[in-house]
Amino acid sequence: MTMNRIKLQRLLSIAGSQVFLAVAAVFFLFPFVYMLSISLRPPNEVFAPGLHLLPNAPTLQNYVTALSDAPILRYLLNGVIVCLGILVLQLCIIIPAGFAFAYLEFPRKDLIFGIVLGALVVPGYLTAIPNFLLFAQLGLVNTYWGLILPFIGSAFGTFLMRQFFRQIPREIFEAAVLDGAGNFQLVRYVLIPLTKPAIAAFTIFSLLTHWNDFFWPLVMTRTGTMYTPPAGIAYFANAEGLSTIGVVMAAAVIVIAPLVLAYLLASRQFIESFTHSAVKG
Amino acid sequence: MSPASQRTPTETANLRSAAASGVFGGRQTWLALALIAPLLICICVFIYRSVALSFQLSLMEYSLGSNTREFIGLSNYIQMFADPKFWRALWTSVVYVGIGGGLSLALGLALAIAVRKVARLTTLWQVAFFLPVTATLAAMSVVWRHIFHPSIGALNAVMEGLGLPTQNWLQQDFTAMAALIVVGVWSSAGYSMVLFLAGLTVIPKDLYDAAQMDGASGWQQLRFVTLPLLAPTTLFVVIIITLRFLESFDSFKILTDGGPLGATTTLSLYLYQHGFQFFNSGYASAVAMVFFLLLIGLTSAQMRADRRVHYQ
Repeated sequence: MTMNRIKLQRLLSIAGSQVFLAVAAVFFLFPFVYMLSISLRPPNEVFAPGLHLLPNAPTLQNYVTALSDAPILRYLLNGVIVCLGILVLQLCIIIPAGFAFAYLEFPRKDLIFGIVLGALVVPGYLTAIPNFLLFAQLGLVNTYWGLILPFIGSAFGTFLMRQFFRQIPREIFEAAVLDGAGNFQLVRYVLIPLTKPAIAAFTIFSLLTHWNDFFWPLVMTRTGTMYTPPAGIAYFANAEGLSTIGVVMAAAVIVIAPLVLAYLLASRQFIESFTHSAVKG
Repeated sequence: MSPASQRTPTETANLRSAAASGVFGGRQTWLALALIAPLLICICVFIYRSVALSFQLSLMEYSLGSNTREFIGLSNYIQMFADPKFWRALWTSVVYVGIGGGLSLALGLALAIAVRKVARLTTLWQVAFFLPVTATLAAMSVVWRHIFHPSIGALNAVMEGLGLPTQNWLQQDFTAMAALIVVGVWSSAGYSMVLFLAGLTVIPKDLYDAAQMDGASGWQQLRFVTLPLLAPTTLFVVIIITLRFLESFDSFKILTDGGPLGATTTLSLYLYQHGFQFFNSGYASAVAMVFFLLLIGLTSAQMRADRRVHYQ
C-alpha cells in the first residue's frame, strides 16, 4: 500500500463525510426553513401546490396578526415571569446549599447529600399527581406559584454548584477573612464573582428546561391567560384553521426565537451546558 | 458524594484546616443547616412527599375532586395488568425507545465521526445539528404536524414530486409511529452527537494513523479502534437517550394525541390521560409507580453494564 493510495482513500472518505453531513443538515434544518417560509406567505399562497419554499410576495402580516390578535404576547410574558421566577429562586437556594456541601462540616453530611441526589432519579410524571393535588388544596392551580414552586429546589443545580465550589482553593476565602471580610461580604464579593461560570451554565440549563417545558404547564394551567409559550402554541394551533396556518407558524417562530437567538449567539456555552448537565439525564 | 474514604489527602487536610481555623465561623453546623434548609424543605415537599403519596394513592380508589378515598389494596395494579391498553402503551414505549433511541444513537455517532473526519467548520456543523435540541419541541411539533399534513403538507408535496403515492401520515398506525420516531430522532440526534464528539476527542489520533499504516479499512478502524475506545461514552449516551425517549411527551401529545385509536399512546401519555383527562388519580398513580420502577430498573441495568465497559 503506497502513501498515495492512503491519501486518496482519506480524501474520498472526507468527501463522503461531507456529503453525509450536508444531507443531514437538510434534515435537521428543514423544519426551521419550512416554518419561516410559511410564516412569510400571504394567505393566498398558503395552499400553493408543491414545496414552494420561497413565497412570491413575502409579507410580515402574519407576525403582526400573531402579535396583535392572538394572545402570543401574553404567553411570552407568562413564560418570562415563570422562567425568571424559577431561576431566581433556584439560585437563592442552590448557591448556599452547594456552598454548605462543599465547604462546611456538619453531621450526616454524606447521607443528606445522598438524599438530595436521590431526587434526581424521580421522574416528573410520578410527582405530577401529588403535586397537583397539593396545589389544588392550596388554591394555587392556574397561578404563577403553581408553575414555579415545584422546580425551585433543584438537586441538579446543587450538585453543579458543589462541584464548582470544590475547585476553588480555600486559600482565597482565608485571604478574604484575613482582610476582615464578614460572611455577607465573603458571599457577595468573593463567592458570587468566582462562581459566575457555574451560574451561567446553570442559567442556560434552567431557562432551556423551563421555557420548553410543556407537561407541567399543561397540567397546571386552566385558562388561556396563564398559558406559557409551549402550552399556548399548542392550544393556538388547535384553535386555528388551515387558512391561518401562516399566523400559527409566525407564532411558532416567535415562541422559539428567544432561545434560538440566544443559542446562536452563545452556541458553545449552550452545548457545553448540555454535555456537562448530562449527568441529570 | 465524597465519602471520607475517597477524599484525597489534600482535601481532608483542607477540611481539617477549615474546621480548625474556623473560616466560616465556629458554628458550622448551624450555619450549614440554615444554608441547606430551603433546599431540603423543597425536595422533601415536592419530591419525596410526592413519591410516598403516589404509592399511597396507587392503593386507593380516588378521583380528582371527590371527597372520598377508599383503600382498595392492589386493585389498581390488577386492573392495570388486565387492561390491554396498558400493555399496548408499554409496547409502544418499548418500540419508541428501542427503534427511535437506537436510530438517534446511530445517527449521532455517524454525525460525530463525520464531523471529526471533515475537521473543517466543526462548530458550524455542531450548531446546525444541535439546533433542534434547543428549539421548543411543542412549537416544533406544530411545525412537524404541518409537514405531515395530508393535503398541504411538505412531505406529501415531495412524494407527489417524486411520483410516489401520498399518505395520510398521522392517521395510519404504522406511518404515525414512524413519523413520531422521525421527530424524536430529529430532536435528539444532535444531543447524542455532541456527547459522542466529547468522547471522540479523547481518542489519540496516532491510533488511527497506526491502524491505517497497517492497512485497516475505514470499517475496520471503526470496529477495532473507535467503538472499543468509545464504549464508556456510548453507554453514557445510551442512558441519556433511553431516558429522553422513555419520558417524551410533547411530540406525541401534539402530533397524534395517542391516535389513531391508541396506536401511538405511550406509557407517559397513558398516564397523562388517566391522571389529568379522566381524573383517575388512584389508577394513574399506580401507572406512575410502574413507570418509576421501569425507569429505575433500566437505569440500574445500564449502570451495571457500565462496570464492564470501562478500560482500566
